[in-house]
Amino acid sequence: MKFYILKRLLYLIPIMIGITFLSFLLLYLAPGDPAQRKLTAQTAVTSDVLEQTREEMGLNRPFLVQYKDWFLNMLQGDLGVSYKDGSPVIVKLTKGMKYTGILAFSSFLLSVVISIPLGIYAAVKKDKLPDSIIKVFCFAGNSLANFLVAVALIYFFCIQTNLFPIIAKGNAQGLFLPTLSLSIPFMSRLITQTRAAVLEQLEQPYVAAARARGMKEIYILFKNVLHNSMISITTVLGLAIGTLLGGSVVTERIFMWPGIGKLVMDSIQARDYPVIQGFVMIMTGIYIIVNLLVDISYHFLDPRVKE
Amino acid sequence: MKKRILLLGLLFVAGIFSLIGCGGKEKVKIAETTETPETKILKVSEAFSIENLNPHQDYQGWYTSIYGLTQSLFQINEQSAVVPVLAENTEVEGNVWTITIKEAASFSNGTPVTSEMVIRNLQKAGTMNARFTYFTKYTYEVVDDKTFKIVTGEPYPTLLNDLASPELAIVDLDESGDMATQLVATGPFVVSTFEPGGTITVEKNQQYWDGAVQLDGAEFYYMPESSTSLLAMQNGEIDTYTSVTADAAKTLEQEQDRYQLSTVSATRLQFYILNQNRLSDSVRKAINLTVDSSDIEKYLNGSVSATVGPFSSKAAYGQVTKDSVDINAAKLLLEEEGYILNSSGYYEKDGQVLTVNVAYYAARSLDTVAALMQEQLKEIGIKAELTLEEDPDATYIQTGDFDIGLYCMIADKAGDPYYFISCTLAQDAPYNCGGFSNQEAQHLIEELQYEADVEKRAELANQIIQIAIDENAFGYIALFNKTTAMVTGVSNVNENSPFDFYFLNAETNME
Repeated sequence: MKFYILKRLLYLIPIMIGITFLSFLLLYLAPGDPAQRKLTAQTAVTSDVLEQTREEMGLNRPFLVQYKDWFLNMLQGDLGVSYKDGSPVIVKLTKGMKYTGILAFSSFLLSVVISIPLGIYAAVKKDKLPDSIIKVFCFAGNSLANFLVAVALIYFFCIQTNLFPIIAKGNAQGLFLPTLSLSIPFMSRLITQTRAAVLEQLEQPYVAAARARGMKEIYILFKNVLHNSMISITTVLGLAIGTLLGGSVVTERIFMWPGIGKLVMDSIQARDYPVIQGFVMIMTGIYIIVNLLVDISYHFLDPRVKE
Repeated sequence: MKKRILLLGLLFVAGIFSLIGCGGKEKVKIAETTETPETKILKVSEAFSIENLNPHQDYQGWYTSIYGLTQSLFQINEQSAVVPVLAENTEVEGNVWTITIKEAASFSNGTPVTSEMVIRNLQKAGTMNARFTYFTKYTYEVVDDKTFKIVTGEPYPTLLNDLASPELAIVDLDESGDMATQLVATGPFVVSTFEPGGTITVEKNQQYWDGAVQLDGAEFYYMPESSTSLLAMQNGEIDTYTSVTADAAKTLEQEQDRYQLSTVSATRLQFYILNQNRLSDSVRKAINLTVDSSDIEKYLNGSVSATVGPFSSKAAYGQVTKDSVDINAAKLLLEEEGYILNSSGYYEKDGQVLTVNVAYYAARSLDTVAALMQEQLKEIGIKAELTLEEDPDATYIQTGDFDIGLYCMIADKAGDPYYFISCTLAQDAPYNCGGFSNQEAQHLIEELQYEADVEKRAELANQIIQIAIDENAFGYIALFNKTTAMVTGVSNVNENSPFDFYFLNAETNME
């Protein structure tokens, strides 16, 4: 297992080089001039001023020189400074990741706590009223646009019932609505997946045998069925962690949550290449590590799964 | 089994309700502690945020001005005229400007504003901001504590307009440090708390040099999504916000006893460039006779006001005329040029359908404008093909590869027409990419560059713009409106100023 983990971690190096090079190339080839975006955010400027700014920002250097410099600095922990406001990229990303991490963790926790029991319950009550209600919720949660869900939550919880303030100033109250908004689509997927996995297991002969031996239903469900369903549920959870940590632009914008999703969207619009590059690098690392953890968890959930 | 599941369900519901219950209690507590009648704290939402408070960097001076923290030597009033703020009076002889600072002008720490500090600020802004580098090339002379001279290389009549730019704010450079989170400046408010990229709270400058400050403070919340601002306004969590969308304005208008709305034509212009290298005089004129700005204004639902020229008609330099929409005259022009209407309803000549390429980008409602123009041109028999570009400056503005190029920019950045004219109409100007070249206009532009008399400048500007209109080099569509929503009782938030960078001031009040 140690050798396997080490091997997977070593894969990180070529993947990281490949992805950062590709994203650097795509940004270089994409239309749009960071100097122009910086200077002409509100008004026009002369070509002399533009040229001087390009020179100062190092944009006139050949592509490979730019990438080499960025990569060498990155190895020393220096991701450069933002083209937009001159602040260090690492500071901006760390701040964004902190807020996104909090939101991702709370959304993940809420989703797991609610979805797995509900998925099991829906499977147990297959084709009965509770199952139908849960299916309608999942259908709606998967279909409704994130924007609509977020505004509807504000309307209901803040305006109609006055339970929460819209301006929450970063406290625990402020976390509830973005968490709920982000969790609803994730919960819908997780409930559907859990229900399907549990239903598949419930049809297995070992369940009938266990029932025949007189084992309690709850014991069969949580000890056997859930355990055997965990591989497919873990896959969904792994994918969700990556997605949640990538930030949600819509949720973050509507709830004024200063996370990474909004930061990256603003950076793309401003052609703030250093921030985009830093984000790509961090997300690559997160996805690789999460995938590795999911793969390792398969081995523990089902020892028949080989390295 | 059923009982257990029921129990679990009840526990879960109880948990949720207890969480909600806690939230409700805390909200009441907040309301009780902050809403005291004696304290006047204005709550504002803004669609932008800044990372530090340095007004000299990029466009950040716009925001420190909005927050009521900084002031420049001059400012632009509602009629787009330059008026003194920190400056008392000005004299000019050729390229030598003598500026006197008001005796009372002082920073929030009580230190008087001196000539030496003003000069250091101008030089610093010139070093930090690529758009003001020329301030490092001027020579300065301190006459006394309150008087100084600026010597420009050549006569520069719009110097006072430049000095009114919020980026040239005067701050106490010795006491403001790196301006990351604190700032000592001359505005009616001082920073109380500042979260980079987020909320800023300001409080009354107790030592404000120019009279009483009505408010005790203000809180600016960063709300990038306009729908959130509207909901927060309806929920009573903010008192005012700008950049109100047309839909939000309609919603708020329904409760006139609770909200006030103020709409003024601002300085951001939607216009199109007609490529003279590709389109004949008649075709360009036909296009201008067809494009109906009033229709576009109606469709955009109050977010813009149709315009004749690039500047507000309230400004002295906004007095130009253009032909009204006349589809029949447009068709006649095309027919006189030899175009014949084909069975598909399009004009053609030598077997070629009259087709124009409309280049645009999807921002500032230009995508909607492009689609509307396509419809309008189809009505007279011109086929318009739309080309969407992500970055106009790097594509069609740079290459000139378009027949009609749509663009949006601030036309009046500091109460003077020269900036827009020099950017769009002068030879080799960055936005003169449609081949406009007129000797008379160029001569007038050169005259405008050095003309010091304000009235004469307006007259010259009107003549230059009129030439561009008459030559059908451009089509000026609409000016964006600046709509401010305020709770009843809130007043003086510069809601009538067409400039985006003025908001909080000493007179701002709430009942």
